[in-house]
Amino acid sequence: MRSLTQALRRFAAGDRLAALALGVLCVMLFLGVFGPWLPLGDPTKLAAGPRLSPPSWEFPFGTDELGRSFLPRVVEGIRYTFLLASMAVAITAVLGTLLGMLAAYLGRFVDQAVARFADLLFAFPPLLAGLLVAAVAGPGALSVIAVISAATLPLFIRVIRSASLSLAERGFVIAAEVAGASTWRILIRHILPNVMSAAIVQLTYALSIAMIIESALSFLGLGEQPPRASLGTLLRVSSVYLTIAPWLVGFAGIVLSLAIVSVNLLGDGLRDRVDPLRGRPLT
Amino acid sequence: MRILTFLGSRVLFALITLTGASLLVFIALRLVPGGFADVVLGPFVTPEAREILTARFGLDQPVWVQFVKWFLALFQGDLGTSLVTQQPVAAELLRRLPVTAELAFLSLLFALSLGLPLGVASATASTHGGGRFGRMVGALGASVPDFVLGSLFIFVFSVWSLGLKAGGYTPLAEDPIENLLGMILPAVTLGVFGMALILRTTRDAVLTVLTEGYIAAAVARGDTPRQILRHHVLRNASVLVLTVSATYFGYLLGGAVIVEVLFSVPGVGFYIYSGLLNRDYAVVQGGVLFVAALFVLLNMLVDLAYVLIDPRIGASRSQQ
Amino acid sequence: MSALVEAQDLDLIYAGETGPVQALDGLDLTLGAGDTLAIVGESGSGKSTLGLAMGRLLPPEAERRSGSLTIAGTPVFEAKQEEVRRLRRETLGFVFQNPMSALDPTMRIGRQVARACGRAASENHVQGLLARAELEAPEQLVRRYPHELSGGMAQRVVIAMAIARGPALLVADEPTASLDVSIRAKVMATLLALQRESGASLVLLTHDLHLAARHCQSLAVMYAGRIVETGPSAAVLSRPGHPYTKGLLAAAAGNEAPGEALQPIPGLPPMLHKPAKDCSFAPRCPYVERRCQELRPGARLLGRKQVACHFAERLLAGDER
Repeated sequence: MRSLTQALRRFAAGDRLAALALGVLCVMLFLGVFGPWLPLGDPTKLAAGPRLSPPSWEFPFGTDELGRSFLPRVVEGIRYTFLLASMAVAITAVLGTLLGMLAAYLGRFVDQAVARFADLLFAFPPLLAGLLVAAVAGPGALSVIAVISAATLPLFIRVIRSASLSLAERGFVIAAEVAGASTWRILIRHILPNVMSAAIVQLTYALSIAMIIESALSFLGLGEQPPRASLGTLLRVSSVYLTIAPWLVGFAGIVLSLAIVSVNLLGDGLRDRVDPLRGRPLT
Repeated sequence: MRILTFLGSRVLFALITLTGASLLVFIALRLVPGGFADVVLGPFVTPEAREILTARFGLDQPVWVQFVKWFLALFQGDLGTSLVTQQPVAAELLRRLPVTAELAFLSLLFALSLGLPLGVASATASTHGGGRFGRMVGALGASVPDFVLGSLFIFVFSVWSLGLKAGGYTPLAEDPIENLLGMILPAVTLGVFGMALILRTTRDAVLTVLTEGYIAAAVARGDTPRQILRHHVLRNASVLVLTVSATYFGYLLGGAVIVEVLFSVPGVGFYIYSGLLNRDYAVVQGGVLFVAALFVLLNMLVDLAYVLIDPRIGASRSQQ
Repeated sequence: MSALVEAQDLDLIYAGETGPVQALDGLDLTLGAGDTLAIVGESGSGKSTLGLAMGRLLPPEAERRSGSLTIAGTPVFEAKQEEVRRLRRETLGFVFQNPMSALDPTMRIGRQVARACGRAASENHVQGLLARAELEAPEQLVRRYPHELSGGMAQRVVIAMAIARGPALLVADEPTASLDVSIRAKVMATLLALQRESGASLVLLTHDLHLAARHCQSLAVMYAGRIVETGPSAAVLSRPGHPYTKGLLAAAAGNEAPGEALQPIPGLPPMLHKPAKDCSFAPRCPYVERRCQELRPGARLLGRKQVACHFAERLLAGDER
């Protein structure tokens, strides 16, 4: 944990790219949270302007097929995309950390069971799992969250398991065992703090995957249902007008890609700090 | 003996995963709210139609009997029958598999031919404090969703015809050139993520190998960077790259739904997606299981291939 | 004929996030062709840094501040990339501590050794080389992978690779430390036999005074990045001229009188961040006086030894503390 705070502190100085990404994410989070109170226009007001009008002073991102201003729509899309992705990743993080630690610490049967469970989840490509879940439970936010969690869980479990594995044999864990600490206490007090940095790095990668899956499912019509719209939903609707109003797909696509690339760059930067991989020069 | 244990455990794990997957898919469709028959047949159902369906799927039998029957049928290659076309799902899937496989192959080709050299270059450059370009390309490629990229391609190539076709599939047997022209854009759209994935994996794998003692030893013997890369780095890094490439290929075989829909490529993903739109649940059920099985088998084959690459697993054979 | 290895006032640091660490601090060293020299010191004394510097194999964060290092007429730090590679190929042979990590796990022994021999090494040549390193059944060995070898066998393979092109200088960094105690002496004997046979010079880097004295004509004791005492092994060992050498001897097992306890040197070696102005050993030295903190002692020739201590004469005369 200490290494992580140090990492964050030296971040801005050492890694401009990651610091920039962090800045972009902060702006997006701010827009997502406070969007409704910002003077950007009403995302729900129909026929606020002409339909499918190009970007103008009044409508910076143009208007959509129902004449709504597209900028507040995109801001709303950011909100839903981040909301769904982070809720799903939160579930993954809690479950994955727990299962990974248990597998590593208890070993044997539990380890095998967790590994097979991860294999099983891993066997379903996320979008097909999305099709299946949509068939069963209908499209919607809950289905999306379930699919994302299932898709990101295996990687999370594997990373936490291998990070915990080396710890389970270490002196301080064995000392705690000898002192009679319960399994839970050892997991929470001794192992968890030491896998935290690995978990946080993995969290950022899981978030980027989550945003991709969320928007892809929404693009297929299996995600958030209108009138609520994530960035993927906006892209789905806008792609119908791709040739006559390309700016709609353009703005939504750029904002979505920018969000995901920022998360990824942040993850890269964090990982470089927490677990620097420095090979030897060949000269 | 060790190698047999290794091979045996891989096959066993694959079987466990496949059984689990089929159970999961079976349960999923039993969970449909309102009952399987209602969902399949829709709200305006006659009692006769319901009876026919019940008889065909054995819905009046206990659930476990239904599962066992379904499970046994799977072993005979029976994935069920389409409710719409009345065709066996397995045959339909197999008919479309070559299309998806071609797309997956082209995407992997694109991903490897760019991702491998960029990954190696980025890793070696980063030992001198460089490699930012590779890192940037890796992050970008892993971030732009395929439907955004696909939309961009469709827009660009439909406004300015640049020789490639965006949408409109020609079977390979009919006209290989036309087929390829139509496949390039979907393959690149799919392959960009793979390129980033392979770039990052290669970079990490190479950097990890570069920390090893035998690399330092080779440098100390006066080998040139080129020799060291060729003889020591690439082979040792290839295990990880192979694993990720295979996983990616498996993902492409089933995960190409969006690109197939976007570019109207009549492959496996497109078929399963239309199954969902037509409320043809037998197709969704069979299709998802089919793809999962492909994925598991492919990963099992890769595990077995390790024996050939890494002598620490394989050499125990020659010792006996 | 100039010396094979010549280091003058070598000053080298490692740049770190918490500031530079002084690894070599005004190091002087001369080694003639065919000589065997053991460099003895604790971990952190800079002996491994010196060994790596001979092949310019230091990590990128290492930086030479001043001084020079010349090997077989090649100025190591100034030479072009290709010259350094030729030096490594033709003049130097390295043997590192851990033989298992020095061999590529995915390549058969035969091919690795052949690659070390250079272009177009015949199967016979490779097997002959392995036989010279006293490895049995080389015709089977060439088809093995490293993980099928014992540590001792692997180190013999590494030694065979190091002498493959007839180097003028062998650098062996703790070559037997990772091996089983029972085979250390035999592997060491092989290394020395091959060194004598080929007429190469040997630099042996070790923390083991007795191993050093047994196998090498001369001995150099390193402390905090510089050589504090150097001379013929027997002379250094029988009558140390530096308090640190004396301390090392007292702390080393093997020459204590029955019933006598080993005496550890109190304190820890310093971690320097810039060149020292005083004697770096002063905080741990039982002989310390005021001038040790004011003036850094230079190396002085006393008989056949060079000692960097203000009180070398007193120690040599038998002053006990």
